Amino acid sequence: MAESVRRVLGKPGSVDVRPYTKLLKAIDEREPALRELSDAELTERAAELGNAEGPYDRADLAELCAVGREAARRALGERPFDVQLVGVMALLDGHVAEMATGEGKTLAGALAAAGFALRGRRVHVLSVNDYLARRDAEWMRPLYDLLGVAVAWIGQESTREERSVAYSADITYASVSELGFDVLRDRLVTDVADRVVPEPDVALIDEADSVLVDEARVPLVLAGAAEAAEADLEMAELVRSLRPRIHYEVDGEGRNVQLTESGIDLVERELGGIDLYSEDDTSVLPRVNLALHAHALLQRDVHYVVRDGEVRLINESRGRIALLQRWPDGLQAAVEAKEKVAVSETGEILDSITVQALVLRYPTRCGMTGTAMAVAEQLREFYELEVAVVPPNKPCVRVDEADRLYATPEDKEDALIEEVATVHATGRPILIGTQDVAESERLAKRLADAGLECVVLNAKNDADEAAVIAEAGTYGAITVSTQMAGRGTDIRLGGSDMADRERVVETGGLYVMGYGRYPSSRLDDQLRGRAGRQGDPGSSIFFVSVEDDLIAANAPEARGADVTADGEITDPAWRSTVNHAQRVAEGQLLELHRNTWRYNQLIDVQRGVVLEHRQAVLAEGLGDRQLAVDCAGTHADLVEEVGEEEVARAAKLITLYHLDRGWTDHNAFLADLREGIHLRFLGRRNPLDEFHRDAVPAFKGFLDEARARAAETFEALEPVDGRLDVAVAGVKRPHTTWTYMVHEHPFSTEFETVVGRVRGALSRG
Amino acid sequence: MLGAFVRAFRTPDLRNKLLFTLFILTIYRLGSVIPAPGINPDAIRQCLQGAQTEDTTGLYSLVNLFSGGALLQLAIFALGIMPYITASIILNLLTVVIPRLEALKKEGQAGQAKITQYTRYLTVALALLQSTSIIAMARTGQLFQGACPPSSYMPSEDLLTLITIVFVMTAGTCVIMWFGELITERGVGNGMSLLIFTTVVAVFPSSMARIWSEQSPWIFAIICVAGLVLIAGVVFMEQAQRRIPVQYAKRMVGRRMYGGSSTYIPLKVNQAGVIPVIFASSLLYLPQLAIGLLGQDSDNPVVDFLSTYFGPTGTHPVYMASFFALIVGFAFFYVAITFNPAEVADNMKKYGGFIPGIRPGRPTAEYLDFVLTRLTTPGALYLGLIALLPMLALGASGASGNFPFGGTSILIMVGVGLDTVKQIESHLQQRNYEGFLR
Repeated sequence: MAESVRRVLGKPGSVDVRPYTKLLKAIDEREPALRELSDAELTERAAELGNAEGPYDRADLAELCAVGREAARRALGERPFDVQLVGVMALLDGHVAEMATGEGKTLAGALAAAGFALRGRRVHVLSVNDYLARRDAEWMRPLYDLLGVAVAWIGQESTREERSVAYSADITYASVSELGFDVLRDRLVTDVADRVVPEPDVALIDEADSVLVDEARVPLVLAGAAEAAEADLEMAELVRSLRPRIHYEVDGEGRNVQLTESGIDLVERELGGIDLYSEDDTSVLPRVNLALHAHALLQRDVHYVVRDGEVRLINESRGRIALLQRWPDGLQAAVEAKEKVAVSETGEILDSITVQALVLRYPTRCGMTGTAMAVAEQLREFYELEVAVVPPNKPCVRVDEADRLYATPEDKEDALIEEVATVHATGRPILIGTQDVAESERLAKRLADAGLECVVLNAKNDADEAAVIAEAGTYGAITVSTQMAGRGTDIRLGGSDMADRERVVETGGLYVMGYGRYPSSRLDDQLRGRAGRQGDPGSSIFFVSVEDDLIAANAPEARGADVTADGEITDPAWRSTVNHAQRVAEGQLLELHRNTWRYNQLIDVQRGVVLEHRQAVLAEGLGDRQLAVDCAGTHADLVEEVGEEEVARAAKLITLYHLDRGWTDHNAFLADLREGIHLRFLGRRNPLDEFHRDAVPAFKGFLDEARARAAETFEALEPVDGRLDVAVAGVKRPHTTWTYMVHEHPFSTEFETVVGRVRGALSRG
Repeated sequence: MLGAFVRAFRTPDLRNKLLFTLFILTIYRLGSVIPAPGINPDAIRQCLQGAQTEDTTGLYSLVNLFSGGALLQLAIFALGIMPYITASIILNLLTVVIPRLEALKKEGQAGQAKITQYTRYLTVALALLQSTSIIAMARTGQLFQGACPPSSYMPSEDLLTLITIVFVMTAGTCVIMWFGELITERGVGNGMSLLIFTTVVAVFPSSMARIWSEQSPWIFAIICVAGLVLIAGVVFMEQAQRRIPVQYAKRMVGRRMYGGSSTYIPLKVNQAGVIPVIFASSLLYLPQLAIGLLGQDSDNPVVDFLSTYFGPTGTHPVYMASFFALIVGFAFFYVAITFNPAEVADNMKKYGGFIPGIRPGRPTAEYLDFVLTRLTTPGALYLGLIALLPMLALGASGASGNFPFGGTSILIMVGVGLDTVKQIESHLQQRNYEGFLR
């Protein structure tokens, strides 16, 4: 009852933090006694908390916070503020704690993780990138040592053995993608001992809104080598002779390329007068399209490099060679043909997992972030998480100025540079947030031309950039940064050692400037939150042009504003247009998230069926038992010849192979189905229902079919020297795997955009 | 089909959803027969019997259809969902006119929620208006075309009673609106459509009973069979579609080839649904309105002309012919504005899709246009025929105006029924159960 009243009165999705604040007094009272203890005795006190089971009661909670505070004071030289302890308690209750930037989320998270670990729970702390996982784990290690819990971290370069060791620690720090890929790889093992990720228990998510909302739209995909492809030199040669705009056209974003009429004519003539779009033979067209894609959309040294006779991808968002990434579905081979290097094996998607499914595996979930309230409803809808708003330690005095609106990007840039010059003259540190890497580099060049030296950060190297952004509060500093860059690092006024603090405070603190609004107000707030840490002075302002992508794409009807001489728009109606455009973008992102979720629900059910079966084969010898029934004769003969154990081993490998093979094929089918499902909308059908209608029958008999194929393969086994070589019978395992995230997937059909467009066309009528 | 329902009832959460839906629909029907305070139910029943023989194709047929007969009983749910439907239509139209609403609509879920809120406010306003006018008509006896004196069914005429009735009816509409949302949220299918479905179906038993008592058993049997055949025919036509295969040729897919069988554009034979019929009926209602305004007995040649050809019985060949022509015209019009072959072709081309045997771009657009026209022709004719059926039956048999299978009712019934079944099926399939429809 009280709950429902609170729901009605309070903001939706938030929990009451008053019960936590009431405990603060009790925690304070324990402090003097704890100060007297030796380090060993403190560790002892912490260990005593593990004697009880289950969630903490109030007395234990106070004890934990008091011990944790004392441990942090000794180990890190930082005595946690009251509000940090409130955050700890909210986390232990499985909420998302909203704590402003600079309030010490990392420490609060660490104390909560230790709290879970002391009660025998296994905690995975998920962060947004490898650098933060390592930094936080190492930073908090003395604290964990003092509290008597083991901590470890995982990075991209960790070996299988290192991972296995790290996952066995009480608390493991890892980036979401590393964890996801480990889970995916574990699904393909043929031996129980090869698994690295333990049973999920507690997930503590740093930057919860980024991970749970922004990243949740992007499935993690694991691909494996399927078979050697043939080089399609003929096509590579053919497309080389095509000319842009005459024979093919590339769309604005450079994501799609199509042949024109005359291009089709030319290709058909060159290939001996065939019909590319013939009903009977459609095998040529994909080859042409792949070659064309490789030729027209992928540029050497921008998208890939050729090194040691191999094509290596460049990770666009980071500008580095991506170790384990390749293009899927024949594109890699097409690029290799284009560069005339040896063609490697083609890859195919083995399995995928969404961040949502990954996080929902954990029975206990909690997290912390600076901006959670804006997505509170999504967190509740998709993750059953409530938000606890933790008040700041010192009230925030940052001044958020109203947006400055301009007609064209040029006017906006001119005004911004002028503003930077004015402010910089006072010595006040400036942080400029940009939308993407290209924009930040262009802006930096213009600033340099104007004689304003600046540092550029664009998420290419997390570790170096963390060091750079920590200095963004130095007197006279100008820093240009993308949204992703330098996350999780505080900007202290006067530099990381705060040596020069007084002088910077006098200038007015950090001045945050947004070079255009982000697609969601939450991201705007994250940028603003860079200033005004711990009651510091500071201000923020956004420079917006009505030709920015955000507004041009989401409020296309807005045109023709009255401008002043320097191109500024003062009409207040335009301010609401900008907000409107942002809300449209937010709505679309939510729809995207929901769609990913909806389409994956059924796939998750089917995957669950396969995984359960696989587990039985892997651990309980189900494959052997089935084959002993299905191929009774052969099975008995083989047992006679090579012994029970060897037959069981072969039976397991064969059964697993066909299960995985079948699942990969089914996945390909689902991807294919999903690609064109939006067309059903044209027939007044609900695409999601249609997806189910087709996907369910396709899965029917999946297990039986895999079993039948296994039996077939098993019959063909021939013992050699008392061993059974399953490879001879056609069982191949992908010996290399690689990974990619779907937003780097070159074939994304942008399903939702298509539906949106189709729907728009329909409703216009 | 029945087996699938049994399976649906065996799935616990689906069973709960179905039971919940049935529960709400039952309350809805109950409220449609409970008279509003201050109304004498016995007298109403007598009045109804008296008025029954009178013409029922006029003003109230459509309104009464959407209230399931509750209107003429002056029940607490007398207004039905009509105010809500009207409000949604008005707001939909307004989004085109008012920029602020259009802006809201684009903002996705949050904006849509606001528009829904406005729709609710408008519903309340419309309900107040409608209930007031109904009470006014009831007081003067117009409601039953003067078949019985108002004092018999509305014994008390003091202001408080009248206000109470207005408020009760308005509140009734709000409750119905809430019911609809509850069903959508926690039950099966679209709540509003299901409520319409229920009201349309609700008049069946009484009409059938009337035919049974008034006509010979033979005619009753013939009507029953004809009705079933008609429903089967409509189901068949509503399901009919032409699948145009589409292939995406941007990548090499796995070793198994799916032959593009799963990717296609389904073009329905009746792409426009029931909308052309509703448009045509409302347009043809205008002459009747004109007659009413100009006065029935005047010697005005216009009135004379109108009442001869477009009179309220609607059985004159000219009326039927124009009705048919309008429906066919609207069907083509609707398809033309909602399906733009050039846009679809462009979109497919952009993402590497093509129809096997047809080049992308303009040839594809032309092909789609060709197929669509060929498909819409029989679709539009079918729609016109279905809508004309009751009138034809009326003219042919002379079996008084109570053939229950009106074209509009059947189209609505089948449409909503199919949608709901499909949704149940989708629920079932997520749990790996057999489907309903194949």
